Amino acid sequence: MVFSFVSIARFGLMNSGQDPTSQNSAEQDSAASSSDDHRRSFIATGSAIAMTTGLVASYGTFASMAGRFLFPAGGQRSVGWQFVAAVASWQPGKSLEYTAPSGATVVIARHGEADEAEAFIALSSVCPHLGCRVHWESQNDRFFCPCHNGAFDRQGVATQGPPAKAGQSLKAYPLKIEAGLLYVEAPLHSVGGDAPAAVAQNDPSAQNDSSAPDAVQADAVEKGRLS
Amino acid sequence: MTRLADWINERIPVSGEQLRELTNEPVPNHLRRWWFCLGGTPAYLFVVQIFTGILLALYYQPAPASAYESVRYITEEAAFGWYLRSMHKWAATLMIAAVILHQMRVYFTAAYRRPRELNWVIGMALLMCTLLTGFTGYSLVFEQLSYWGATVAANISDAVPVVGGTLKTLLLGGAEYNEHTLSRFFIIHAAILPTTITLLVIVHIAFIRMHGVTELRFDDDPPNEPRHFNFFPDHITTELLIGLLLMVVLSALATILPATLGAKADPLTTPEIIKPEWYFYVSFRWLKLFSLTFAVLSTGFILGAMFLWPWIDVGLRKLTGNEDISVWIGVGGTLLLIGLTVWEAVVTH
Repeated sequence: MVFSFVSIARFGLMNSGQDPTSQNSAEQDSAASSSDDHRRSFIATGSAIAMTTGLVASYGTFASMAGRFLFPAGGQRSVGWQFVAAVASWQPGKSLEYTAPSGATVVIARHGEADEAEAFIALSSVCPHLGCRVHWESQNDRFFCPCHNGAFDRQGVATQGPPAKAGQSLKAYPLKIEAGLLYVEAPLHSVGGDAPAAVAQNDPSAQNDSSAPDAVQADAVEKGRLS
Repeated sequence: MTRLADWINERIPVSGEQLRELTNEPVPNHLRRWWFCLGGTPAYLFVVQIFTGILLALYYQPAPASAYESVRYITEEAAFGWYLRSMHKWAATLMIAAVILHQMRVYFTAAYRRPRELNWVIGMALLMCTLLTGFTGYSLVFEQLSYWGATVAANISDAVPVVGGTLKTLLLGGAEYNEHTLSRFFIIHAAILPTTITLLVIVHIAFIRMHGVTELRFDDDPPNEPRHFNFFPDHITTELLIGLLLMVVLSALATILPATLGAKADPLTTPEIIKPEWYFYVSFRWLKLFSLTFAVLSTGFILGAMFLWPWIDVGLRKLTGNEDISVWIGVGGTLLLIGLTVWEAVVTH
């Protein structure tokens, strides 16, 4: 590319410098001519480099801006800590279904005595294989993904299908306990546009309804199966 | 009249002789058999898709909150909307079938061999573009299959080594399916892919014109018959008849089996029974059979081999000394393709 600009620039300079009378004198003074050629060559090369740099810089900037435009601002899905229930009122071995502000149903079970987050588990219903939603099959005692036949036991460990081959398990939502209250970090909005409105972060009083067991979605995991 | 001809000729300086030369390439005799006219079929259907697609785009709204409703409006309220949408859907199905059959014809007659290797590669690119257009098309309806199909496809892209994450983000317009996703799919479906297909078809046809159609001889060919016939009017008549037949078939399919509208996309519930369109049954079954990494890598390997087949074929023929090795591999591949498709079609899960 630089070479072609050099050629074009040289051609232009040679043409613009053509003058029959000066050509004669140039022939007579070969030393001066050589110096002129050298100067012209230098200018031609310099201008070609400047032109190439300018083109690459401007189109490059444009391309990088266009490339950046392809990645939307704030593309990360928003999640927030949501109040679930008081730890003291929750017996070990019991579970409840929690409906997140996005509408997602999360099954949360207590499997330990300790008053710490590790004693609870909140399984995501998103299949780790390719992102479909699993559902509970009580007759088979398993979570089942209808997309590619992945199956998981009640602890979320894959037992069949591609997730089992890859050793994947259902992901767990992060949990924390603050002042004796259990919180889950769950998605705040859904793409469908008809999910319940997002509730304020860390505001237990605002979410009593959504976290109560009677607010669960009927078509999700069979209630109490994990207890 | 002469003045008018002169006026036109001055502005469009193409003589009748040049025009005849441009349009009237001698066509090899084997193209009298209709089986060999499959290449023109997807091109014809593509034109149908452009026409019906532009009409559908007048009402379609590529946003999660309104896409499904706009498709419902097209299907149930707009005058002849059901017909145009059904035409669009059936033409897509037939176009994909025709591309696959055309490719099989080229493969089994070894028409991809030297010097036509590059046209095979362009044909493969056209196959990929056609499949992608089909996929992005049914993703636009925003019914359950649309949403879950797009989610699965994005996560498959994510599993591609090195560039997977970026591919997924580019496809969805974010880390997950979001409010930007549908407009992105719409632009890919209605602008990027049709433009790419148009350009590739131009190059595809230009290559055919430069190399000529591969000439095939059959045992039952009369020995003294001329080896070529005229493109115009002989071959164009065949193509027009195929076009007419396709319109009748399309119209009948659109009327008897019109495009339906499934349940609206629900990001929180994957339906108990979910399957992609028939042309993705193979990959759908493949994904069920193997781990994700193996399924993605093996699919990439198979597609790579298909793209480079003209050169692999040369190597295999040299290695085995068997001129028909590609035929046997093709038979095996076709049986696997049909087997996996039928398997996926007959089972619930």
